[in-house]
Amino acid sequence: MKGSKQVFVLLSALLVLSMVLSACTPAATPTAEPAAPQVAPTQPVVVEEPTATAVPAAAGVTKMTFWHSMGGDIGGKAIPQITNDFNSSQDKCYVVYTYQGTYDDSLNKLKAGLQSGDTPSVIQLFDIATRLMVDLDVAIPVQTYIDKEGYDVSDLEPNVLAYYTVDGQQYSMPFNSSTPMLYYNVDAFKAAGLDPANPPRTWDEFTEAARKLTIKDASGAVTQYGGAFAVYGWFFEQLLAVSGGYYADNENGRSGLATKATFNSPEGVAILDWWKAMYDEGILANYGRTTVDTRSAFIAGQTAMILESTAALRGLMDSSAGKFEIGTAFLPRPNEAAFDISGTVIGGGSVWMIKDRPQAEQDCAWEFIKFLASPEQQAYWQTMSGYFPIRKAAYENQLSVDWRAKYPQFQTAIDQLHAAPNNRFTQGGLIGVFPTARQTIEGAIEEVLAGKGTSQEVLDKAAETVTLAIEEYNISMGLTP
Amino acid sequence: MAVSERISGSHTVGRFKSTGVRQREIKRFFTALLYLLPSLILFSTFTFIPLIRTIGLSTYLTNPLGIAVKFVGLAQYEKLFSTPVFVNSMQRSLLFVAYTVPTSIIVSLGLALLGNLRLKGISFFRMVFSVTIAVSAATASLIFKYLYHPALGSLNYLLSFLNIDPVPWLTNENTALMAVSLGTVWLQIGLNTVILLAAMQGISEELYESAMIDGANYWHKFRSITIPMLSSTFFFLIVVDMLAAFQAFTQIHVLTSGGPLDSTNVLVFSIYREFYFNGAYGFAAAQAVMLFLIMLALTVFQFGVLEKKVFYD
Amino acid sequence: MDYKLKRILTSTVFYIVLMVVAVIVLFPIWTAINISFLDDSQVAQYPPQLFPTHFSLANYARALEQAPLLRYLFNSVAQSTLVMLGQLVTACLAAYAFAFIDFKWRNVLFLIFLATLMIPWEATIIPNYLLIKKLKWDNTFQGLAIPFMATGFGTFLLRQFFLKIPKELHDAAVMDGCSSFRFLLTIVLPLARPALGTLAVYSFLQTYNQYLWPLLITNDQTMRTVQIGIALLQDEERFMFNTVMAGVVFVLLPTFILFIFSNRQLIRGLTAGAVKG
Repeated sequence: MKGSKQVFVLLSALLVLSMVLSACTPAATPTAEPAAPQVAPTQPVVVEEPTATAVPAAAGVTKMTFWHSMGGDIGGKAIPQITNDFNSSQDKCYVVYTYQGTYDDSLNKLKAGLQSGDTPSVIQLFDIATRLMVDLDVAIPVQTYIDKEGYDVSDLEPNVLAYYTVDGQQYSMPFNSSTPMLYYNVDAFKAAGLDPANPPRTWDEFTEAARKLTIKDASGAVTQYGGAFAVYGWFFEQLLAVSGGYYADNENGRSGLATKATFNSPEGVAILDWWKAMYDEGILANYGRTTVDTRSAFIAGQTAMILESTAALRGLMDSSAGKFEIGTAFLPRPNEAAFDISGTVIGGGSVWMIKDRPQAEQDCAWEFIKFLASPEQQAYWQTMSGYFPIRKAAYENQLSVDWRAKYPQFQTAIDQLHAAPNNRFTQGGLIGVFPTARQTIEGAIEEVLAGKGTSQEVLDKAAETVTLAIEEYNISMGLTP
Repeated sequence: MAVSERISGSHTVGRFKSTGVRQREIKRFFTALLYLLPSLILFSTFTFIPLIRTIGLSTYLTNPLGIAVKFVGLAQYEKLFSTPVFVNSMQRSLLFVAYTVPTSIIVSLGLALLGNLRLKGISFFRMVFSVTIAVSAATASLIFKYLYHPALGSLNYLLSFLNIDPVPWLTNENTALMAVSLGTVWLQIGLNTVILLAAMQGISEELYESAMIDGANYWHKFRSITIPMLSSTFFFLIVVDMLAAFQAFTQIHVLTSGGPLDSTNVLVFSIYREFYFNGAYGFAAAQAVMLFLIMLALTVFQFGVLEKKVFYD
Repeated sequence: MDYKLKRILTSTVFYIVLMVVAVIVLFPIWTAINISFLDDSQVAQYPPQLFPTHFSLANYARALEQAPLLRYLFNSVAQSTLVMLGQLVTACLAAYAFAFIDFKWRNVLFLIFLATLMIPWEATIIPNYLLIKKLKWDNTFQGLAIPFMATGFGTFLLRQFFLKIPKELHDAAVMDGCSSFRFLLTIVLPLARPALGTLAVYSFLQTYNQYLWPLLITNDQTMRTVQIGIALLQDEERFMFNTVMAGVVFVLLPTFILFIFSNRQLIRGLTAGAVKG
């Protein structure tokens, strides 16, 4: 293989060079066979020919790249399956998929790649990169193609589309969409005398249920917590949205450029007060920031209720099989009235078309994106991943029908999505420094739980930090409100 | 030639620098340079030139692509010292070094001494004691993530047999840094033990034999022969382990991501956060420069003070 | 008799101590192996299972299905071997100069070498990426390996060992007309074998451990390395410890084999008598 040969030549050259140059006596006898391990470079490393994914050699086929961030079965099976299906469905475009690590890894690779021309035709990014991508102006809004082709978007979920629509333009195509739900242990509900058919709907009901579900042993140690929330900024964002609170000014940055963080509002404070009160009472556990850990605690029967993404459903169902039954419900709201004014924000990710690619690649990218959004693929995607389909027609697909019959708990996710009004609350915050904000909120939650200040004080400080970051961002991007 | 110079070990400085001496000096300099050349070329290309760029970047406000957009002078440094984050991170880094470096060297010394016993099958134990040299930080961190797991972790389970309440290893700000340190020590003992064992094998048997004749006991031999003969190794380990501890990133990334409450947000992680996560390249660059300066100062100090006490022959 | 009894007793005590310490050191590794054999429901239960109940390679099969670990493994081994060889060459040469040649600015240059250990990787990764792209070395082994072929750590390690070699040996050899390079090859290197072995294993592992660099400069599936494979096994929404651990054990195997084979070199060392001549 070419690469290794060059390395070998270089190594040997280095070695020879140093030999020639460093001999201190002019007539130094050629070095005798040295016994040292150093001599090893003279044996070329044998590298087998790469068995690359065979690219059809046929003329007229456009090769394009797709960067994704899905691990496990989704990245290992579903993505390859979908891309292969696309490749064999037509003969003009050929997609090569590449896993680029976490969303953060992928985004950073894109940033670096923009400076060196190493960019994909299509990239999957998380929801909170939306504003940044718009401001960087490196993507072609899918709206361009939608308009050009008269692509019908009426079947797509309006709430999902709304998230990815900025200034009236749909920028990216939603791909993997999710919302948070309440997951509860049905067996534990029964044991505690709670009705599993009537899971808590409001925060007060949740607290009440958590109290009843908490079990202590003879020594007073808790053996089962009523509930547990991972310290995950996304949950805060969602709880704020369902409370009818804005994350940033200018209606979440949707009616104009966001200039400051506003999550330290009474709605935001109420979330942390509620969280903290349950934590202090010993009915809500804290297993840290990693959602996986909270999920494991739930599966191990150490906590009876958790908040989790809809996408976690299948994994939770599989690993709880034979242990206990899982129930799902809407994300709890501050009060009953809140159900009418707001709902959950769409989470997950979407796919973007990158600008600086040749026209042929862009056209192929659009074909691929349409393929990803097609009812068949979305139905398959749902069954493989647990994300919900971005279009209604997918539910009629047999795969989806069977899957929902097997996992009836999933209906909750669909109902919750459809129950949410489409407004500025549910469209979610739109700021360029969202990753920073999320991480600041996580720090704030930890501070409140540790009693380092009242919810108000801590959130004020966090809002100040995020506002500063927004200001710097706006300056560096040359944005003015 | 030059035997006397080598033996005296000193640089040939002095008033009587003949042309011959000077020529030899120049020749030696260039000979040495040739030996250093391969490394120097690689270091300049891949380490120092990028470093200079980073120093430059630290005086700019950067956009999310890492491109300098506005010269701000030392504003990033002022920001460093005015925000509690940097001060906290520096303190966390120093604590992490203090937790891991002495512990891993002492534990490794113990392991190396055990491995140096003359017993049947000792080579098996030597191998076991140095096994973590073959474990990467990424894999070790995944393993410790499970061991420390708040719900499933086997460490808490084992502790329950000793009637110890579950420890919130990674979820409490008072224990998280120690938990990460414990994993780091485990990871580090392999390399340290290998180096110490190799050095112990190099200590002349005659030294111990003559001490035996003088009637020295184990402890005495340990103090008057083993420790001094290992001084250059200890020096090496202190310097290298310290630098490695300042740069320890993977275990923090996998285990705690800097939390809870920034208790494990050591400098190198804080830089990562600003650089990779927040896209604040200029600010990250300023932190990187500070971290570099701190390590440089400590290393120069160690060479100035400690190496004088090292015994090389 | 008493003496003999005492000896047996002390060695028994020593063996017990050795065993206990060995169990503690090995426990994390055992944990990884154990979990890689547990099924999905066993791995999610508390109290945890400390021993597998059955020997099943299902998790390994699943890991290999999710990520092309074999191919990645090959790439990692190739990359790490190249870096290891490169570091051995550059570090031997540099350490030799620092240990045996008395030259001007030696301390300053040595500090410059050490300074390379003090530069956070964040400071260099993007410029290096851009450079590699400019050289068109992305998706190649030279791109993966060459930036890491010089080592401050290795130079320091070897220098410490070289300093222990009596300088008289050097001077005598040079007096005999032996070139200093030949002296390095024929006398210094054989004596420093344990240090070379340590450096070899260490540099191999450091490279093997890389995640961000290979992720950044490769796009081609066929050039990806194992740590990316391990990341690929980690699904945020369905994190399975058993599959991940199967991947971890799989990735650990080659380094363990390397370690076991080089172990003799590392620790046996050479008897003091030989060093002192």
